[in-house]
Amino acid sequence: MPSSSVALTPGLASFLKSLKTNPIDTSIDDLISLLKRRQIRHSRSCATATAYLLRSVISACRTSDANKLIERVQYVGRRVMAAQPREMVVGNIVRRVLGLIRDEAEDDREADFTLSDAGSESQPQTPRILDDISESLSARHDGSDRSSRQPFTSLSAPPISMFSLLSHPEPESSLPGTPASASPSGRLPSQIHNKDIRAEVLDGINEIIDELGQVDDQIAAYALDHIHSNEIILTHTSSTTVQKFLLKAAAKRKFTVIHAESYPNNHEATHATVSGQTPDDDELLSTEAFQKPLIALGITVILIPDSAVFALMSRVNKVILGTHSVLANGGLVAAAGTRVIARAAKVHQTPVVVVSGVYKLSPVYPFDFDSLIEYGDASKVIGYEDGDLVDQIDVQNPLYDYVPAESIDLYITNLGGHAPSYLYRIVSDHYRKEDINV
Amino acid sequence: MPAPTSGASDAAKPFDIVATYNELLRSDPDLTMPIAAIEALVLLLTHSPSSTISETLDLLEKSTAHLKQSIPNPIGLSAGTDLFQRYLITTLQRPGQLGPAGDFNAIRAHLLSNGRLFIRRAKESRDKIAAFGRGFVRDGSTVLTNGGSRVVASLLQKAADEKGGPSAVRFRVIYVLSSAKHDVDSSGEPEGMQMVRALRAKGVPVATIPESAVAYAMGKADIVIVGAEGVVENGGIVSRMGTYQIGLLAKAMDKPFYCVAESHKFVRIYPLGQYDLPIEQRVIDFKTEEEVADEAKQQQAATPAVRPVNSADSSDVVDFTPPHLISALITDSGVLTPSAVSEELIKIWF
Repeated sequence: MPSSSVALTPGLASFLKSLKTNPIDTSIDDLISLLKRRQIRHSRSCATATAYLLRSVISACRTSDANKLIERVQYVGRRVMAAQPREMVVGNIVRRVLGLIRDEAEDDREADFTLSDAGSESQPQTPRILDDISESLSARHDGSDRSSRQPFTSLSAPPISMFSLLSHPEPESSLPGTPASASPSGRLPSQIHNKDIRAEVLDGINEIIDELGQVDDQIAAYALDHIHSNEIILTHTSSTTVQKFLLKAAAKRKFTVIHAESYPNNHEATHATVSGQTPDDDELLSTEAFQKPLIALGITVILIPDSAVFALMSRVNKVILGTHSVLANGGLVAAAGTRVIARAAKVHQTPVVVVSGVYKLSPVYPFDFDSLIEYGDASKVIGYEDGDLVDQIDVQNPLYDYVPAESIDLYITNLGGHAPSYLYRIVSDHYRKEDINV
Repeated sequence: MPAPTSGASDAAKPFDIVATYNELLRSDPDLTMPIAAIEALVLLLTHSPSSTISETLDLLEKSTAHLKQSIPNPIGLSAGTDLFQRYLITTLQRPGQLGPAGDFNAIRAHLLSNGRLFIRRAKESRDKIAAFGRGFVRDGSTVLTNGGSRVVASLLQKAADEKGGPSAVRFRVIYVLSSAKHDVDSSGEPEGMQMVRALRAKGVPVATIPESAVAYAMGKADIVIVGAEGVVENGGIVSRMGTYQIGLLAKAMDKPFYCVAESHKFVRIYPLGQYDLPIEQRVIDFKTEEEVADEAKQQQAATPAVRPVNSADSSDVVDFTPPHLISALITDSGVLTPSAVSEELIKIWF
């Protein structure tokens, strides 16, 4: 039941406000209905809402057991993801939070099994004594020097997958749950560690929230490497990431921007971005609303209809695109019309650069491209005032395009520039394999 | 256990790794080449009395070299032997029970006692791949495949099995059957017919086409799924002859081309092209009339026993499909882009 006490129009701001006061289950239902009704639409708003919700879920979850925490987050995550399966970022945030909990749980367990647990399963008698020593040792170190333990974790924890064939039986011993039976003597200290898990996970989520806030500025920091003087840049839609990227470069260099208006779904916002009159309906843009448009910085901005993209492409030096989400194979789901631009750029051998925060990068492999495309309001194509026409023809308004990885030359994320074929690496760095199917 | 008694008895009858390898492959049709190679090495260790690390590594190296020389196409098996060797070395270097401080006999005993387990895991990895790959077979799609790959067979059968379940996948299969005469198995039908029958028994409509009809049939296919003998460092695959052309045609027609392979088939070679594979294949054999006559004479003179060896060679011919033709590799460690292969390999080598 969404709360009716909030007077604001339902959206990210109202959700975040109500999150503090409402009980957690109401907030979950609240977000689900917001997602279902598409009252939260931008990838970043969805990501922020999910991160805040999970933070409340975890702080409301009065348990110190990592498994219960994971179960709870999985349950909430599944429901929120099911509310809007095409909003990939929701799943991404859920997976990252799950990964956080698992990391913390394993960090703890590292204390219990300082020895590489490859051997301990077959000969439980000998290493047990060593375990107890290391436990008492690391119990003292815990918390204070987490950073020093980190390299060790990365050295031994991720099993080399190709060796899984040959390794000892029960390679899953590092997963939460299984080693509980290993040593009754080790139970007590690990309970003490578990107390820390929740606090550290909450810290981690706060970091994710911070990342969501800073991501555009971090990406913009790379702008001067990619935009040179007197270049002609083509872009599309009113993506704030792209705008900040261009603004950053505009502070130092003079260039020309050709802006395709992305009719019919985003043209109003695009016009506003170009002219600098940002409408204040978008809560997230509250700070950006004070930002000067590119024209104020002396940049020539040319607004064109989407149909002119191909004709102008021969004069364009670089295409810079924003995106809705990025998939594990390097392909992307972006505003409708992006694929046309990418194809036109391909024909003219113009480099295509995609700017996107890492949070948009999804570990989901696109089995079925068509299922990723969301369809929007048909009345934007033909208004209902043309009722007699609507009766006779089938009007479709796809909101997104799937752009295959081959048509992208470079991705710029908050971590730097990557080739599309490298994205799998970032995916494996950010998400745990066991969380890919939540 | 390195019992000296077993060593003594072996001194009388030396262990033949090549024969063991061939025997293993023959005895279990489900066994892949890398796994057979690993098994052969495990058996070799059982039969050798060596108890020091360097002695064992030396023995492994020599036997591996011998095995590779004796097998006409060692790409698949070298994936297995490399994996085995690297596992041994990495485990010995890692701190912990099995490390340098630990007992060498412990790791030896682990390897020797778990031979069956490796085989079981290798077979299980096919189920894992099938689970990963199931999503690629969509309702109403048509899958084009070739060869007698066991992984592809298990993937398609798994997808077909779901028919009874809640998520019924209705798909069709275009099966490319090798038209070459030498690709006939013992029962006198082209390789792959068994899988065609199995799929048809499950109610999947299967069309069989000759290799020459691939381009013609590609327009009807939605995706292409092939198996592989080895996955090389750059993410390309070494697979039975004809896979490369299917890859090229799929690319030309913009159809996704997926390769299904277990991760133990990753092999550390970097072929630059078709003719850069570390094996000798006599596919392109230029002849003049004179040479043909010479050869015919020689063949008449030769004993019939020589012939089957030749024909076995030609049925094993492979080609190399470069990575840019491959949309993704479906492996037991997930769906990988071709460039992820080198990383997996780097992890075990460095």
